[in-house]
Amino acid sequence: MPRWASVLLWTAITAAGAGALGYLALTRGEQVNAAWLLTAAVCTYLVGYRFYSRIIAARIFALDANRATPAERLKDGRDYVPTNRWIVFGHHFAAIAGPGPLVGPTLAAQFGYLPGALWIIVGVVLGGAVQDFVILAASVRRNGKSLGRIARDEIGPVAGATALVAVLGIMIILISVLALVVVKALQQSPWGTVTIGLTIPIAMLMGVYLQFIRPGRVLETTAIGIVLLIVALYAGRWVAQDPALAPIFTLTGPQLAKWIIGYGIAASILPVWLLLAPRDYLSAFVKIGVVVALAVGIVIVLPPLQMPALTRFIDGTGPVFAGKLFPFVFITIACGAISGFHSLIASGTTPKLLQNEKDARFIGYGAMLTESLVAIMALIAACVLTPGIYFAINAPASIIGTTAESAAEVIRTWGFVLDPAQLHQLAASIEETTLLSRTGGAPSLAVGMAMLFSNVLGGTSAMALWYHFALMFEALFILTTVDAGTRVGRFMLQDLLRHIWAPLGRTGWYPAVVISSTLFVAMWGYFLYQGVTDPLGGINSLWPLFGIANQLLAAVALCVGTTVIIKMGKARYAWITILPLVWLAVVTMSAGAAKVWSSDPKLGFLSHARFLEAQLAAGTMPTGAKSAADVARMAFNDRLDAGVALFFMASVIVILATSIYEWVRVRRGTATPSSEVAFVARVTS
Amino acid sequence: MTDHAAIPPSGAGDAPGVARRVAAVIRRIIGVPDYEAYVAHVRAHHPGTEPMSERDFHREQLTARYSRPGSRCC
Repeated sequence: MPRWASVLLWTAITAAGAGALGYLALTRGEQVNAAWLLTAAVCTYLVGYRFYSRIIAARIFALDANRATPAERLKDGRDYVPTNRWIVFGHHFAAIAGPGPLVGPTLAAQFGYLPGALWIIVGVVLGGAVQDFVILAASVRRNGKSLGRIARDEIGPVAGATALVAVLGIMIILISVLALVVVKALQQSPWGTVTIGLTIPIAMLMGVYLQFIRPGRVLETTAIGIVLLIVALYAGRWVAQDPALAPIFTLTGPQLAKWIIGYGIAASILPVWLLLAPRDYLSAFVKIGVVVALAVGIVIVLPPLQMPALTRFIDGTGPVFAGKLFPFVFITIACGAISGFHSLIASGTTPKLLQNEKDARFIGYGAMLTESLVAIMALIAACVLTPGIYFAINAPASIIGTTAESAAEVIRTWGFVLDPAQLHQLAASIEETTLLSRTGGAPSLAVGMAMLFSNVLGGTSAMALWYHFALMFEALFILTTVDAGTRVGRFMLQDLLRHIWAPLGRTGWYPAVVISSTLFVAMWGYFLYQGVTDPLGGINSLWPLFGIANQLLAAVALCVGTTVIIKMGKARYAWITILPLVWLAVVTMSAGAAKVWSSDPKLGFLSHARFLEAQLAAGTMPTGAKSAADVARMAFNDRLDAGVALFFMASVIVILATSIYEWVRVRRGTATPSSEVAFVARVTS
Repeated sequence: MTDHAAIPPSGAGDAPGVARRVAAVIRRIIGVPDYEAYVAHVRAHHPGTEPMSERDFHREQLTARYSRPGSRCC
């Protein structure tokens, strides 16, 4: 392209993006079309990719096509395999995209669409994509070493140990909160429960088929699995319509929680070929398929956003989760804007596949922009619901009561209209008994997606099928994180336990496997059960903890990235990682402090514990408690959650302090040298 | 040197070849390692060593995949 054409094109993209952002930011009181949001996002991503990521590629790492990558130098046909950039992009995206970018934006919609949208768009360009790209490039320059190893080598053993413990802590909170989302989505829904339940035997059938009948035929097996998933969708409807069978599969929260806990143990103990691997194949297809379908649906329908730009709940009185706009929108939306977890993937399989260093920009920065777009689409899907419906689905029963009429009454005091008849009609159209207080984000996202999809295909009569399809997709997505995460957590735990008693570390010894699996599941199972029985809905306390944990890991990754950049002699460009690092440190510390010490019992864990005890002492039983023992347990859980938040905050301080100490040592010339592998020219043949 | 061994080369307009190529791409994206590429690698770079059987290869790869953090995200 001639230079003038390029200048013209980029000026047009920048103008379109800035125009759309300005329109979004300034429009009040009238409905905005989703097209503005999509335009603002896509144009900002393009500009960020073209100009901002170039600083990292050219100025900092000076990525060089002539430098041999680990995939070439260490080629072994197994882990290190030079691979086409598009394939690596697809693989990397499938690995980073999880349920996080779907749930977070849905919850954050309680502030209106604008805060979430701005944070997703700006956060990814200046934070999330920078983190993923820098860690990927750093790992490629270090033979594909993991984040924990790089932290230890570049910053020091304390930072390395903090990173390890932080990862274990995050896994526990992550799995419990995601399992909670599934429980909330399936509660009292026989159709959903049967369909999701059937995905487990389907996966096992696929596993047996793949192992014994047609070994190695992954795609054929997956095709059979997808057909069976559709059968499961209809089987769920059939059970739900049967008056004798439906009650058997209408389960309460605690019942579902026990099933998921049992499933976690099974997934960790059973051979991977039987359950985990086939589920993963299914989930990868469904994931990419639904993301594409959602994009197509939104582009065809171009729905207006029913939610206002800002709601009154930016003052911290929101029913979905407590806390003000700052810092809680930045905690609630982690994945999609910046997700610390990605740094584990960017330093895992991906760096061992790159055939050209320069691909790191497209894969590291580009795949994260794509995930951010998924988050924007989830936000759109949540905002196609009217605010009345959105809050009826997402506010806990302790606030809006248990009938559509009581909910309408409460929601009217918030300034939104909810017609009880309309809510009943919506619930009937998706063939669920109720939509009231179906918290956790998954049901409201599924309703939004069903509205979009049925608009394109099938009309109103297809609403129920689309709703349960969307729910199945979300649950499949989440359960693959729960099962694979449990297995990985078990391995990490065994690695720690072997220091206490060596045989516990043996991954092939059955008693050690069972003990460590049970122990790890007990850890997340405890938080899950606590969330399920929490009268405020559980999401209110667990989702912020997950957000803080994920941002803590991002802080670790950005500290590692900054240290790598400084040790390369590029300290004058270190602001590129320091900028998001400072922001995350401020956000995690203020959110953590609010969750621990806020005097508002709706927000602060400690004040909530005191509030419960004071109520008991005054002779009134707090909501959701039946006995003094219940109150004691609830107060204990509050203090435990406070302890977890404090632990995450302490980890942020440790990682910052050790990193800054190392940066000072670099200035003084006493730091350990960079562990970057020396330049090796690519062998041309 | 660019190694495209992961994707079997296709002849122009050769339908089964194209289908194989597409299948190999999809498998790599969902995280299934390519056994044929592995065998080709062992034959080319380690003459004298016998590559693992297809079943052993996949078993080993699966075990590795689910034992490290970062195989899954949120």
